[in-house]
Amino acid sequence: MSNYIVLVKQVPDVTQITDNAFDPESGTLIRSRLASVINELDSQALAFANRMRQIGSNKTGKIIALTMGPPMAEEVLRYSLSRCADTAVLLTDAKLGGADTVATANPLAFAVRKIVKEILNEDSDYYVVCGMQSVDGDTAQVPPQIAEELGLACIAYATEAELRNERFEFTRIISGGSQVVAARKLPAVITVAKYEYPLFATFAATRRANRMEIVRWGGDDIKATHIGVKGSKTRVIRVFPPGKSVRKCREVDNAKSLAKMLVSSFKSGNGDISRNGNGQASYYILPDKRAEKFDRSFEGTKKENEDFKILAGTLKKLGISEISQIDDTAEEKILAAVDKRFHKKALKDMINGLQLTEPSYKGQVWVVAEHSNGRVHPATFELIGKARELADSLETKVGVCLAGHGLEPMAKELIAAGADNIYIIEDKLLSVFDPTAYRKVVADCISTYWPQIVLFAATAQGRMLAPMVSYRLGCGLTADCTSLDIRDSSRKGQMGILMQTRPALGGNVMATICTKNSKSQMATARPGVMKRLPADDLRTGRIIRHKVRLSNDDISLEIIKTELGGGDVNFDTEIIVSGGKGMQSRDNYERLVGSLCDCLGRKLGAQVERGASRAAVEQGFVERMHQVGQTGTAVRPKLYVALGISGAIQHMIGVANTETIVAVNSDPNAPIFKQCDYYIIGNVEDTVPQLVQALEAE
Amino acid sequence: MPNTKNYNKVQVLIVGAGPAGLAAAIHLKAEKPETEVCVIEKAADLGNHNLSGAVLEAEPLHTLLDSAVPGWRESEAAREVLASRIDKDDIMFFTKNRAINIFPMIKLAGIFRLGFGQMIHIADYSVQVSKLAKWLGRIAEDMEVEVLTGFAAEDIILDESTNMATGVKLVDQGRDKEGNKQPNFVEGEIINADFVVLAEGCDGLLTEKFIEKAGLKRDASQLYSVGVKELIKVSSEQYDKFTSGRVVHAMGFPLWTPVIGPGMFGGGIVYAGVKDHLSVGMIVGADWKYYDFNPQDALTNFKNHKFVKQFIDGGTVVEAGAKMIPEGGYYAIPREAETGSIGKGNCMILGDSAGFVNMLKIKGLHNAIDSGIQAAKAITETLNSPETAAVKYTELIERSNVIKEMKSSKNFRQTIAKFGPLLGMPLSVFGGLLPKFKIEKDYEAMTTARYRLKGNQEFDKDTFTAVVATEHREDQPSHLKILNGNICVQKCIPEFNGPCITFCPGGVYETINGKLKPANPSNCVHCKSCQRKCPFDNIRWTAPEGGGGPRYKRM
Repeated sequence: MSNYIVLVKQVPDVTQITDNAFDPESGTLIRSRLASVINELDSQALAFANRMRQIGSNKTGKIIALTMGPPMAEEVLRYSLSRCADTAVLLTDAKLGGADTVATANPLAFAVRKIVKEILNEDSDYYVVCGMQSVDGDTAQVPPQIAEELGLACIAYATEAELRNERFEFTRIISGGSQVVAARKLPAVITVAKYEYPLFATFAATRRANRMEIVRWGGDDIKATHIGVKGSKTRVIRVFPPGKSVRKCREVDNAKSLAKMLVSSFKSGNGDISRNGNGQASYYILPDKRAEKFDRSFEGTKKENEDFKILAGTLKKLGISEISQIDDTAEEKILAAVDKRFHKKALKDMINGLQLTEPSYKGQVWVVAEHSNGRVHPATFELIGKARELADSLETKVGVCLAGHGLEPMAKELIAAGADNIYIIEDKLLSVFDPTAYRKVVADCISTYWPQIVLFAATAQGRMLAPMVSYRLGCGLTADCTSLDIRDSSRKGQMGILMQTRPALGGNVMATICTKNSKSQMATARPGVMKRLPADDLRTGRIIRHKVRLSNDDISLEIIKTELGGGDVNFDTEIIVSGGKGMQSRDNYERLVGSLCDCLGRKLGAQVERGASRAAVEQGFVERMHQVGQTGTAVRPKLYVALGISGAIQHMIGVANTETIVAVNSDPNAPIFKQCDYYIIGNVEDTVPQLVQALEAE
Repeated sequence: MPNTKNYNKVQVLIVGAGPAGLAAAIHLKAEKPETEVCVIEKAADLGNHNLSGAVLEAEPLHTLLDSAVPGWRESEAAREVLASRIDKDDIMFFTKNRAINIFPMIKLAGIFRLGFGQMIHIADYSVQVSKLAKWLGRIAEDMEVEVLTGFAAEDIILDESTNMATGVKLVDQGRDKEGNKQPNFVEGEIINADFVVLAEGCDGLLTEKFIEKAGLKRDASQLYSVGVKELIKVSSEQYDKFTSGRVVHAMGFPLWTPVIGPGMFGGGIVYAGVKDHLSVGMIVGADWKYYDFNPQDALTNFKNHKFVKQFIDGGTVVEAGAKMIPEGGYYAIPREAETGSIGKGNCMILGDSAGFVNMLKIKGLHNAIDSGIQAAKAITETLNSPETAAVKYTELIERSNVIKEMKSSKNFRQTIAKFGPLLGMPLSVFGGLLPKFKIEKDYEAMTTARYRLKGNQEFDKDTFTAVVATEHREDQPSHLKILNGNICVQKCIPEFNGPCITFCPGGVYETINGKLKPANPSNCVHCKSCQRKCPFDNIRWTAPEGGGGPRYKRM
């Protein structure tokens, strides 16, 4: 009799952001001004668990909703109770606040243990079911980290469960397709990527739920090992509004020129409109290589840079050239000279910072490679490009950790892309990606060499592997970075550290984060954000073999079926071609969107997905899962082509983070023309074939 | 925990968490704390479906809270919701280029006790009714009223033999577009109740069904107005220039220009809201005759009038909404034929659902709250004989200020509907002396005349619905029904070009391949104008799944 522990989270409702939610001074989002709702994927997870219970062999299994948060998080537990949960557990304690993903996963895992012990009476037949990620954090780290803490298998991105031969088989999304898997051992953690039928509350169940007792546990009840700010492995340095992108709104009068623009903007990006400040040069000089001894112009925040500049100027004025010259009287003089700009304590910290000349971390800069069918994933090459830049300024080497089977041929390509050392872990058991087996060997390899930085691609696979590896090694991890820079935090005594910048709260704010209490700094970066270096076939490098003992027991998943290029929609592609009402019919949509997708995919060597406006879905041109926008899926490809879409604000919100938007519409007053980069006025039936023809000729 | 309670049964069920319903709940709990009171509301959250100007006459609210919440005046919420007390009241007449203050005339009318004189608002509160409803909802919850949002009712159930309301039926949830059951389908529950209080607001779905099923009658058909409103963030200079605590009502342009037309009833409003925000709205009698008219176009004209423009130019619309207002007045109150009760048996009709809007004051909020208090009193007095509640309620409300006011403004609106604004306004001075007129229904007024001030720019409905933040689960059957599609194609489009396409503030209706459809039901803002203004009475508004609709926060 399976039981289900469903993790639910209360999040700010980022779909209902109003203008007063932003601080007029700093432009940052004020979280308390947003309504709170249950994380949408968690509501799907709840329905998923309910479905498992319904189809399962025993229908009396318990569904237990668990959340961690402030007392008001009780609301999401009431939500769960009014739908299908039998019991609800609220983990709430001031001590648990300020946690990063490690300090969230850890207490939740301990709470799961306590639930199993006290509520399920040690019955180990259970599943932990949760949404793949939350809309506010957007990291997808907590579920795999919980699996790691509990030593369970983790089946990520599930979309359906079926019972076959007395056991559950899960359909899940993988890059470019889908897969049916089963856990080889129970219990297991399931993360739900999409389950379309969230449950409705009923009147009676809501009234019942409002009267039910909620189990409340504090930090001391669960005896977790990593909690709150102290237990966190990352620290937020600053939060700032994302750079507002300005669209070019340039009209193009023929398909030929538009084809040229499409190709060039895809290949070289969109000039000034870099998304959220990615790609900025990470120029950095180690402290002992700087011309001026007291040069601290590589701090992570502007204010620190200014403060140190003032301090250096003051020291010069006072004739102080050595730190040892600074005694109490000198300190007073400095404080007087800067007109009390710093507190005494701050000054002491700064002086201590000036003494530091060594970077805080040692070791190489690594990239964990991703590959399938003997081909390296393009994101790996992009990360090597970034790693090269970071390693050069830190004066160290770029290493690539390559685990799998039949790897030798890939090494050369990785070296040409900028790597110095390739660490190869070769094993037949690694011939397909199994999270548990891969995390074991990758973590083993990292902990043998301890690089100072480890980068993973934020692909479906990387977002699964990275949290397990980092948690296993006790290291912090920042997900989905759009910019990675080496900077100092001199006052905190940290030199040459990795500053990791990422969007949060659905792209409404940006946060710069650094790692703490970790032997290595780890991050994942989205494909398409970092730049690949031109291949240099003359480059040389070393191949280092690393051996890890693996057995069949290390494999957690049984892969039953893999289907690539299936019917599932994957909006995590570089290009999306969407059709709107202007398509007129399903046939036109099929023909026009289809031909342009094929052509762009072939000519640009990129993955392309089909999207649609709500109107197109409404009129049955294409299935709902293709809908892009406020009520559909928010996307962020490099290139978004909108065919016959008017550009209603609800649609445009969903594509705001796109690098380049191209529009074709016959209405010269279509609002989309004010919100795109390039457009052509013309009906899609004529323009698209011309565009395809022109692209073929490019 | 053994639990045998029947959660589908409540003692008092109130439909609608607006000022009327919540006042009833609060007053009832204050009088009889042991009563089980449950309020259902179709909006996702408290206040989300409440929109008004709004000028609130303080008295009934004070009475309600004084008896229920000791020390309420000192609460932070009270200070926030009731922050703005009106100290400047301008009533203006707009011509295309000028604005004439006619407040002195209204004041004079007041002195001579002419109906018009009631139009004065000084010392009233200027409130945002979505906030007011949210606050009252919280108060009710604190008093252990069960306020359940996200539950929409689609029907009221009457016992065949006794003709008493036994309860309501909620909307089915989890059907797809074609009406098929999805895996998460939940059939709409039936909630049984001893007392049913209908406080749904204007043109209530259950109210109208009840009126029909229980055989209630109106002496004159209900007349409506359509209001559209925007909350505009303006600069501090503009706000200070307008001054806080000020309300402006403007008649004339762009709805009514004597002699050359257009000739519509209604007017524009500009209210000072919270700091640096102005509410700008347009209220138009739904008996307009121009097939291409859209109240939003009038709002655009109003916003471009130089008097208004000076205060809002360069501002940002941060919220918007639309609703209907019942304006039929005293003769349009639905009553039981025998007893004259407003409701029947154990079922009472409150607030806008009953039509308690005083058209001379152009206010109804105070009456809504007052009717809630009277309903609560009626219930406390008839706890052992629910079947007499409606009669008791009517008895109480007849004695209350509500009906007194309704009588004084008896047929103001009908006079104008009958004679047009030019003649009707002056005639209405005779107030109750005039006979009851037979008035055609709003939808019958449509003609092939054009709105002279249409302008050439289409109102941007997409942006409007975006700031309304209206949303419905997309994959559900359309809650807007066209009864006979042939009428649209064969009669309405040839004759009037499908006015719903133009006047629906959410842009719900479109022609697709020659057929007129509610193509975007998820844009619906629940104003229900379509079912009252379709020239062929061919549209019905039904309840969508609970939780859908606009998300008003400061309207």
